[in-house]
Amino acid sequence: MEFLVVENLVAGINSTVVLKGVNLEINRGEIHVIVGPNAVGKSTLLAAIMGLSHVKILKGKIVFEGKDITNLKPFERARLGISLGYQIPPEFRGVKLRTLVEEVAGKYGCMKYMDTLIDFLDLRDLLDREAFRGFSGGERKRAELLLTFLQKPKLAMLDEPDSGVDIESIKLIGEAIKFAKNELNTSILLVTHTGEILREIGRIDSTHVLYDGRIVYSGSSEEIFEKIRKHGFKGVVEVERVKG
Amino acid sequence: MNELRDRALKALRKPAKYGPDLNLDKFEVDKPVVGGELPREVASNVEKAFTRVGLSTTSPLGYLQVNEEAYYSAFQKVFSKYGVKVYPLKIALEKFSLARELAWSLIPPDTDKYTAKAFLEGGELGYFVYVPPGVNLPIPVYTCLVLTSEKKVQYTHNVVYVDRGSVAHVVTGCSVPHGLKGGLHIGISEFFVGENAKLTFSMLHAWSSGVHVRPRTAVKVKEGGEYLSYYVIYSPVASLQSYPIVYLNGRASTQMVSIVAGEGKGIYDVGGKAVLEGVESSAEIISRVMAKDNSIIYSRSEIEALEEDSRGHIECLGLLLNENANIKTIPVLSSKVPGAQLTHEAAIGMIADKQIEYLMSKGFSEEEARALILKGFISVEAPKIPRTVKREIDRLVKIIVEKAVG
Repeated sequence: MEFLVVENLVAGINSTVVLKGVNLEINRGEIHVIVGPNAVGKSTLLAAIMGLSHVKILKGKIVFEGKDITNLKPFERARLGISLGYQIPPEFRGVKLRTLVEEVAGKYGCMKYMDTLIDFLDLRDLLDREAFRGFSGGERKRAELLLTFLQKPKLAMLDEPDSGVDIESIKLIGEAIKFAKNELNTSILLVTHTGEILREIGRIDSTHVLYDGRIVYSGSSEEIFEKIRKHGFKGVVEVERVKG
Repeated sequence: MNELRDRALKALRKPAKYGPDLNLDKFEVDKPVVGGELPREVASNVEKAFTRVGLSTTSPLGYLQVNEEAYYSAFQKVFSKYGVKVYPLKIALEKFSLARELAWSLIPPDTDKYTAKAFLEGGELGYFVYVPPGVNLPIPVYTCLVLTSEKKVQYTHNVVYVDRGSVAHVVTGCSVPHGLKGGLHIGISEFFVGENAKLTFSMLHAWSSGVHVRPRTAVKVKEGGEYLSYYVIYSPVASLQSYPIVYLNGRASTQMVSIVAGEGKGIYDVGGKAVLEGVESSAEIISRVMAKDNSIIYSRSEIEALEEDSRGHIECLGLLLNENANIKTIPVLSSKVPGAQLTHEAAIGMIADKQIEYLMSKGFSEEEARALILKGFISVEAPKIPRTVKREIDRLVKIIVEKAVG
């Protein structure tokens, strides 16, 4: 059975069409990476797969483990095993990170991983702070990753887990991703700007270039980042267009 | 006493500094009685009132007052094993010179018309608790004040003295059965915490839409003493106005926590003040208020520093659950000494759609997401509250969340 299939997905925010026909297939246990310049729809694609309300799906479908989930609510998708690690999670005034952590872990029966992941991500000192309030870039990403993996997801979508993060945090985030893949058998769909995190997580199964609302090229991450360094995103797109 | 009486008489028309002014002439007062056994016809109403504040009739009750009748005998023996005296104040004033010395020493009867009325008409019902030096009282002293009649006023005057080095926990449940359409509760509380002694005071309140409530509380904490108050109110009320004042000597400290869930058309004017009178004294005032329907919550807090190296912090967070409700936070810091450190933070907000959606993406339904945010918001840690009392507070938190979400 196919794990995740995104088929000719057209989706928009307000009256702007952002995704213009995205096709993507991921198999169980794989790590896929999406790269692309700013504002091409990387976060929108993840939000559409999660079913967040600000993204309207206009055409196409999303199938997860053989089930069409295009019209399901976010919590229904989450309960099927899809999770989204936000780029910028909202702040919770008056609510401790510990409360969120315990509630999520309790919901997914992940109490036994809770302490391991808290230590992996070096979050113990943050638990009694208000969730995401005044967190540094690295703290925010690490806390969000903890909540994402405590869902014991089959598919974790991580939106720029390495942006605005110190080197130390990148290492910890890499360790946590490896833990999720190896111990929880989680598949990963990861959006990155710089590719910095990729060095920390080992084998990547496929990297996709998203440009102007479409996946224009897929290949190995080494090859793609090499091309981006040489020609820039636009160059990569034009070379592929000439080839195509 | 005559001088106090004269002062009280002069204050009979003196409005309180805060809160809506009430016409006290419309309330009737019963003759105060100290009774023995609780009559059966009263018992079922009392039990219902207990349940509303998370208590049960099996709690070690030191004092129960229903309207203007006081009952106290049941747990006398349990407390006397520790040398702790628990009596209706009316009896304590006859028996103990300490009670006479302390009563009305922290709250002058002419503070306002409510204290004046209580002084002149109250009959000194209420509880007196004395904990002798060096006693760590392992069981909390439960007291319960229940109002069941609509046109009447209930007066209660409570005096607690925790002597040098002792530790005690007092829990007061104030409640009415569901749906009471009128009534007035006036409570005078004067607490004394001796040198290096600790007192925790938990107040669990459930009133009703027609009831007016005017507690008057003052606390004196001597050198090295600690006073912790934990105040929870979640029911409708006609109006409530409370502004306890805690006076702290050297190295004394206080933490005052208020959880207020306003609803209906209620006016909730709540808060507290700490006066840092001694070197290295400290105070923390924490409020979590949430308002729904057409309720108005005034959340007042003040810390006044009079001595060097004193510290104080105010944290007041408000959550509006709909657009007709209104929260006003009034934090005040006042210092006359350069070495004092005083800080405050206050914020009012609503539950944001993006918070709900975020939690929905983590697998919570919309209702579960709201409940989670509310529970987190009103759960304030107070490690010094005993575990048994914490369980009762948790029960109230659960009720508050269920009411707010539903």
